[in-house]
Amino acid sequence: MWRIISQRLLSLIFVLFSVTFLTFIVSSLAPGDPVLNMMGGRQDPVRYQFLRHMYGLDLPWYQQYFNYLGNLLSGNLGYSFKYPERPVWSLIANGVPVSMQLGLTALTVSVLLGVPAGVLSALWQNTWRDTATMTIMLALYSVPSFVIIPVLWVVDLALYRAGWPSLPVAGWGKPEQLILPVLVLAAANIGFIARLMRSSMLEVMRQDFVRTARAKGAPESIVIRRHVLRNALLPLLTVLGPATAFLVTGAFVVENLFAIPGVGYLAVQSIGQRDYPVIQATTILLALAVVVMNLVTDIGYTLADPRVRAD
Amino acid sequence: MAEIPTIAEQTAPARPWWMYFLRNRAATAGMVFILVALLLALAGPTVYQRLLPADQQRSRDGIFQDYESINAEASPVHWLGADYLGRDTLTRLLVAVRVSLLVAFVVEAINIGLGGLLGLLAGYFGGWVDMLISRLADMLFAFPGLLLAILISAVFGSTARELYGGTGRLLLVAAALSLVSWPLMARLIRSETLALKSRDFMLASRSLGASDFQLIARHLLPNVAWIITVAATLDVASVIVNEATLSLLGLGIEEPGASLGLMIFRAAGKIERYPLQVFIPAVMITALVLAFSFVGDGLRDAFDPRSRQSG
Amino acid sequence: MSGKKTLIQLISLLAALSLLLAACGSPAAPAAETSAPLRWSLEGINELPALDPPLAGASQSVGVISLVFEGLVRLDGGLNIAPAGAESWDVKDGGKTFIFHIRKDLKFANGDPVTAEDFAYSLNRAFAPEYANGNAGYYLSNIAGSMEVQQGSAQTISGVKVIDAQTLEIDLLNPSVYFLYQLTFPASFVVSKKAVEANPTAWTDTAYGTGPFMVKEWKHNQSITLVPNPNYWLGKPQISEIDMPFIQDPATALKMYQTGELDIMGTYNFPTDQISAVSSDPAFHQFNQFFVAYIGFNNARPPFDNVKVRQAFAKAVDKATLINKVLEAAVVEADTIIPPGMPGYNADSAKIQAFDAAGAKQLLADAGYPDGKDFPKIALSINNQDPNFPKIAAALQQMWKETLGVEVEINTEELSKFNDDLTATANDPAAAGALDFYISVWGADYPDPQNFVSQQLRTGVGNNNGHYSNAEFDALVDKADVEPNLPSRLPLYQQAETIALTEVGWLPLYYGKANLLINTKVKGLVVTPQGLFPEVDWTKVTVGK
Repeated sequence: MWRIISQRLLSLIFVLFSVTFLTFIVSSLAPGDPVLNMMGGRQDPVRYQFLRHMYGLDLPWYQQYFNYLGNLLSGNLGYSFKYPERPVWSLIANGVPVSMQLGLTALTVSVLLGVPAGVLSALWQNTWRDTATMTIMLALYSVPSFVIIPVLWVVDLALYRAGWPSLPVAGWGKPEQLILPVLVLAAANIGFIARLMRSSMLEVMRQDFVRTARAKGAPESIVIRRHVLRNALLPLLTVLGPATAFLVTGAFVVENLFAIPGVGYLAVQSIGQRDYPVIQATTILLALAVVVMNLVTDIGYTLADPRVRAD
Repeated sequence: MAEIPTIAEQTAPARPWWMYFLRNRAATAGMVFILVALLLALAGPTVYQRLLPADQQRSRDGIFQDYESINAEASPVHWLGADYLGRDTLTRLLVAVRVSLLVAFVVEAINIGLGGLLGLLAGYFGGWVDMLISRLADMLFAFPGLLLAILISAVFGSTARELYGGTGRLLLVAAALSLVSWPLMARLIRSETLALKSRDFMLASRSLGASDFQLIARHLLPNVAWIITVAATLDVASVIVNEATLSLLGLGIEEPGASLGLMIFRAAGKIERYPLQVFIPAVMITALVLAFSFVGDGLRDAFDPRSRQSG
Repeated sequence: MSGKKTLIQLISLLAALSLLLAACGSPAAPAAETSAPLRWSLEGINELPALDPPLAGASQSVGVISLVFEGLVRLDGGLNIAPAGAESWDVKDGGKTFIFHIRKDLKFANGDPVTAEDFAYSLNRAFAPEYANGNAGYYLSNIAGSMEVQQGSAQTISGVKVIDAQTLEIDLLNPSVYFLYQLTFPASFVVSKKAVEANPTAWTDTAYGTGPFMVKEWKHNQSITLVPNPNYWLGKPQISEIDMPFIQDPATALKMYQTGELDIMGTYNFPTDQISAVSSDPAFHQFNQFFVAYIGFNNARPPFDNVKVRQAFAKAVDKATLINKVLEAAVVEADTIIPPGMPGYNADSAKIQAFDAAGAKQLLADAGYPDGKDFPKIALSINNQDPNFPKIAAALQQMWKETLGVEVEINTEELSKFNDDLTATANDPAAAGALDFYISVWGADYPDPQNFVSQQLRTGVGNNNGHYSNAEFDALVDKADVEPNLPSRLPLYQQAETIALTEVGWLPLYYGKANLLINTKVKGLVVTPQGLFPEVDWTKVTVGK
């Protein structure tokens, strides 16, 4: 198992390395002179040279890249183009806990709602309840978040106007501001997890050992709990990684539409502002999140499944 | 997202695959919807325009701004009303569907050409070819979802437009989105090719002196074609959503071009007063996404004897 | 370990983690005060660009800085110059020398006394070369010796003299009647040397000055919270706290207001396409603003270096349709550079660029492009922050195509990218990346036509991004800027304006309106064309339950 983990760690380092390279190349191919833009309306050759030097832009590109990598390894993410006095790290540091809280809550909600929906649907297989649940789950999975959000807004505003309890529609900092974005972010994942859970349940229920258990006369509830559920949950572990990546992707739209100051918001805003040091840092950070999540999934899967462990 | 199982047995199905497909009502309905949408998107705007006398036709061209019809309700002239600039909503909707499908078509062409080919090469040759291709795919996988597409469309968007106008922008969006798609395709095809390579019929052909090219073209390609078809169909759904998301963030299709994402974005602010302007494109995009998911699922069930039983 | 157990452990771990983070994120309960907190959104930004007074550029920065810092004088709710750090002042040498008498009991929020030395320190600091990107040079370069400091050839400004602890003298290069107005802009606001030197890089995170409030917490990329300055010279404000979240999209801020999450919204940006939905609300305020949205042209390269082409483009625009139909009359059609209400507004200028399709076609033909034949490929650049711009651009595109036969591309950009490109255009108008023409806006810094005429279109000034240049215009505004007598200045600015309108240095589109929602439980605020002001002072402003 350690061999697998160390192999994985190696490829993780390689992937992150390539991500830095790719974002670096895209940034340096981008049209426009960042220093000229930064200087505002004032033409000042001395200051121009000073700023170019300060950001290391007067070096050949490969040297810039190696400097960048070196700084990265020592934890220095450089300075923002947009807010020249602010180190990139301080810009990102505020976004990370925000995005983590949003993502983890959404993940928890999607597992807590998606798993029961899938299990019940499997137990109700081929009844109208199964069809209804699966239709709702498919709709949740398919309807894009930018379609759900305006509908929620209209409903929420109508509730508020009618004097009913309503939810904050944007912003961050209060627990109740978490509810709408988490629901939107979790929606697709609930549908995804429920569908996966249902097919995995059905798959297990057809297996010999379940038939044997039933044949031995074990009560249905015990068969389901001891044998089916236990084995059917295993595939779920393998998708938690992709599901989290899914949440990170969804977070771009959700954080932007709900004005949530997370990493996704910062990433999109800094792309809009062509703030390359911040773009690079957010990209690496998000890539790290995805890669680590996949690694954790692999390790979790290895620990959970004796067949893989023996490998 | 979908995991596509490898074929357990290469036995000829008792009935042709399309018989299975047609028995799946959702998939058939999805296919009919897609065909109708495609037909309407291609021919609809012209026919709809020709229904009016020649001198009034431009009020339905989707670009002409009739300042007397701003935010107009449905009427004999504008069947679905007009938008915030007095442009015909039905025409713009159909043109937007055309754009969605065109982007999806270009993305899937790249996806199949690049992802399919690289997957085949990686699986067939193994060794350093596999190493190189797999690491490249890993790297692109590490970019969470749309981030790379957002970055590329943002950085090179205005250059593309300066060089090739609206078409350049559209192609850039498609190219950026295909970067999100092809690694998954390559991975699927690679693992399937690996499985097929060691099978008897491959070994037999090789011992009869078949060249690499013959083996790939005659034996591998026909056997992975169905996986390519299913994966590409399912991917269309996410491409449509991703294109809309890019346009929503202001990085995709631009005015006066039409895109479902752009239509939703422009109307979202006034959803209370003119809800139809949001709901019409929202329903269309949801229907397209569902249709492609149904067809993809249906094709998989029809091609894959194993998944057919679980239905 | 079974799969089920792992999963349940994982779920409970996730739940615990998110609860923990939620606990960290929730703010402490506000202490009981005389008045509830004021929740006031800063629209159009995802981070406050600056809080250091010399760096104030964006209106959001100016707004927050003006709550925390103060200068020698301030504007009151009636837009009159009122005493602030200076109790009184004398004007000598025909408007060339100003003697300020600093308030005796003036204190920084931390209790340290403020003297003339502090004002001199703040002015010298604002002109230091490392603040060359700031605004001091732009607003206050009339102070004798200031540019020498900015250029590094002097350490202190020769025109700023500390007579004694309570007396500050400022000498100008040229007599100026609007100098006091220029002092109400943050560049000269007084900062604490002690605070700056204790933490030069991050002192603004807990900034304090002599303004009515001080910074309690600046959550970068999220919000800034202000609390009353207990040592404010007018007394401690009653509002317990001002909570100002940064909301990029004004439509989001409106939604937050509508569901009771904000007390004031729209100060910096309002979703103008939604005005009709709120216009009947008693909390809704709409005021004319000293604000013009206009099209600027790149005068330094073809096709807009040709005055006939600019005139053709101007006369092809049917502004009445554009403003009243396309923008649903949410703004007012603009035909002048100096907006109505501003001294020097000239209603007669309105007809200079009037809609004239046949005239426009003729002008374009005279310029060598009959029916738009062989017209170069050009793009109109706009930013995507203002919901009006894409609509206007699309309508203009159609008007120019129908009337002139010219195809114009629309180049939509993020606001900051747009600003960067505009700057690049100003720096090098002939470069390939420079803009052809663009929709831009100008809002008054102070109510004087100089701010709209000389500072926008004189050859070589910082805001003249499109490099418009006319010798006669320059001569007129140069004369007007130094003329001490207001009635004799105004005709000079009006003549200059007529030249600029005739030559289409600007193509004005509309005058802005300030659109604001102020919850009726907020008492004591007034809206002026220059923004939101306390009627008397901040100590009288309260928020009811």
